[in-house]
Amino acid sequence: MADGATPRRKSVPDWLNNPIWSAPPPSPRHSSPPRTAPSPPQPPPSPVLPPQPPRDPTPIPPPNARRDGDASDDEDDEGKGAGAPSRSHLVAEFKVTLDRKVVDLAELRRLACQGVPDAAGIRPIVWKLLLGYLPTDRALWPYELEKKRSQYCAFQDELLVNPSEVTRRMEEMSVSKREEHNAEGTGVLPRAEIVRDEHPLSLGKTSVWNQYFQESEIVEQIDRDVKRTHPEMQFFNGDSSDSLSNQESLKRILTIFAKLNPGIRYVQGMNEVLAPLYYVFKNDPDQSHAALAEPDAFFCFVELLSGFRDNFCKQLDNSVVGIRSTIATLSQLLRRHDEELWRHLEVVTKVNPQFYAFRWITLLLTQEFKFRDCLSLWDTLLGDPEGPQATLLRICCAMLILVRRRLLAGDFTANLKLLQNYPPTNIDHLLHIANKLRGPLPF
Amino acid sequence: MVLVLALGDLHIPHRAPDLPAKFKSMLVPGKIQHIICTGNLCIKEVHDYLKSLCPDLHITRGEYDEDARYPETKTLTIGQFKLGLCHGHQVVPWGDLDSLAMLQRQLDVDILVTGHTHQFKAYKHEGGVVINPGSATGAYSSITYDVNPSFVLMDIDGLRVVVYVYELIDGEVKVDKIDFKKTATMHA
Repeated sequence: MADGATPRRKSVPDWLNNPIWSAPPPSPRHSSPPRTAPSPPQPPPSPVLPPQPPRDPTPIPPPNARRDGDASDDEDDEGKGAGAPSRSHLVAEFKVTLDRKVVDLAELRRLACQGVPDAAGIRPIVWKLLLGYLPTDRALWPYELEKKRSQYCAFQDELLVNPSEVTRRMEEMSVSKREEHNAEGTGVLPRAEIVRDEHPLSLGKTSVWNQYFQESEIVEQIDRDVKRTHPEMQFFNGDSSDSLSNQESLKRILTIFAKLNPGIRYVQGMNEVLAPLYYVFKNDPDQSHAALAEPDAFFCFVELLSGFRDNFCKQLDNSVVGIRSTIATLSQLLRRHDEELWRHLEVVTKVNPQFYAFRWITLLLTQEFKFRDCLSLWDTLLGDPEGPQATLLRICCAMLILVRRRLLAGDFTANLKLLQNYPPTNIDHLLHIANKLRGPLPF
Repeated sequence: MVLVLALGDLHIPHRAPDLPAKFKSMLVPGKIQHIICTGNLCIKEVHDYLKSLCPDLHITRGEYDEDARYPETKTLTIGQFKLGLCHGHQVVPWGDLDSLAMLQRQLDVDILVTGHTHQFKAYKHEGGVVINPGSATGAYSSITYDVNPSFVLMDIDGLRVVVYVYELIDGEVKVDKIDFKKTATMHA
């Protein structure tokens, strides 16, 4: 902790040297940072955070109410509904909000930003509501679910069928119905006309076979990516039939999405955005919902991606809505909140934000943190009333500020290495910082 | 849904320079899972070309093949079907259904693919089905000069086989198909 060691830092105000700005070491029982968090930032540092909206304290609850850091689990315990005693009141609050006839979405968002408890299947329902998959009126839930699920079945039927099957169906519909040939009798087998030039080697654009072979490349890509999703997790990559069926579900969802969206198809990384959604829905304690996690995950994935589609579209890379522009916005956000760090990163060490922020933004931070932390992060990402894009940028900015001490001391290689392998952090702490960065986005 | 290409009697370079261009444009790698070839390629270059279309290549020896290591007959199982392969010059009279049926029973297969006559034929009898894909280059045979280039693509899907027959007639590719289902009584 070399405080006065580097000459660059002579003009740093005292509050900035506070340990709050550095990532705490990853010890599971280290509970002090969240507790001491409220006191230091209270004297608002005006030069660096000018638009400090007075409404700031009210949207976030005092950090004491946040659930304990079970975010720093060392091993991956899936499905463990570890209810720390301090979360039981949260469970009750959620249940109250969710049990109303018409769910108050604003209230739900506020609660979600506090963190959704793992217990009692609350998270699946909360996410479905936040993503707009379930309407706020509880009475409409069965109807909506039924409708969406049968729609998914229709997609499956239509799009996941191989060409042999398709040609067989076409034949059955065509007028000239020939008899089945079986092995009885002897003689020359009669030849029949093919329907509409549909043969396996067809090169026609409208040929079912040709489309199938062209799409087989995408299907193979999806297959490879799904096999690589979260290899350390039993849920996705074990030897059991369950994990195989999970992989199959993921593949189906991504294939159907690719076929329904010829403009964007499948881009590497979509599997990572889909994984948490599917995981949460599949681990719903309510078996009737867990069994139908696939259609639910599909529609929620579509919804979530609709806000971020432009990040995946290559042609839009350089446009106003594309990924480059988003990264530039992040850069400006950092500059606004921490000019010194911005200058050091971009000007002095020349760490182009594209090198690290690209993955942070397109994959919605799924690759930067442990899976459980990711789920907590997504609670806020989905729940924040500002919307996922703005929230994501704030969180990225907070990630940078949290390791500012190490960044300021590092050169290009060290900084890049640090940012591409972001150190384990207390998620509550991170989200608290991100929350303090509210304000209109710079343009 | 397994695609099996059956062809043979190319007689390259002795009787034909190459496959017809229209056939070559359709035969692209990546679509076909197996190739079975009745024989008479005749040279290694043709073998390499077929290998590039699909790594799983089965060939039996025709009387003019330069590589003497190909077997006389071959059997393989694809999905629910057992396929047998033989060039056909060994079975006399050439192209006679009863004699081929004897060979089929000997090999104990559902579908027997033979060549040598350079004429496309598809027969069925109690023991199974005999398919002759003809000559893929339209080379003249020991029997006749009037040969249309042809080959066969089988789509094996469970117990059902759809045989697509590709023929080059007057410079145009004509595709027909034959539907065929295996029943339990086909093999004792």
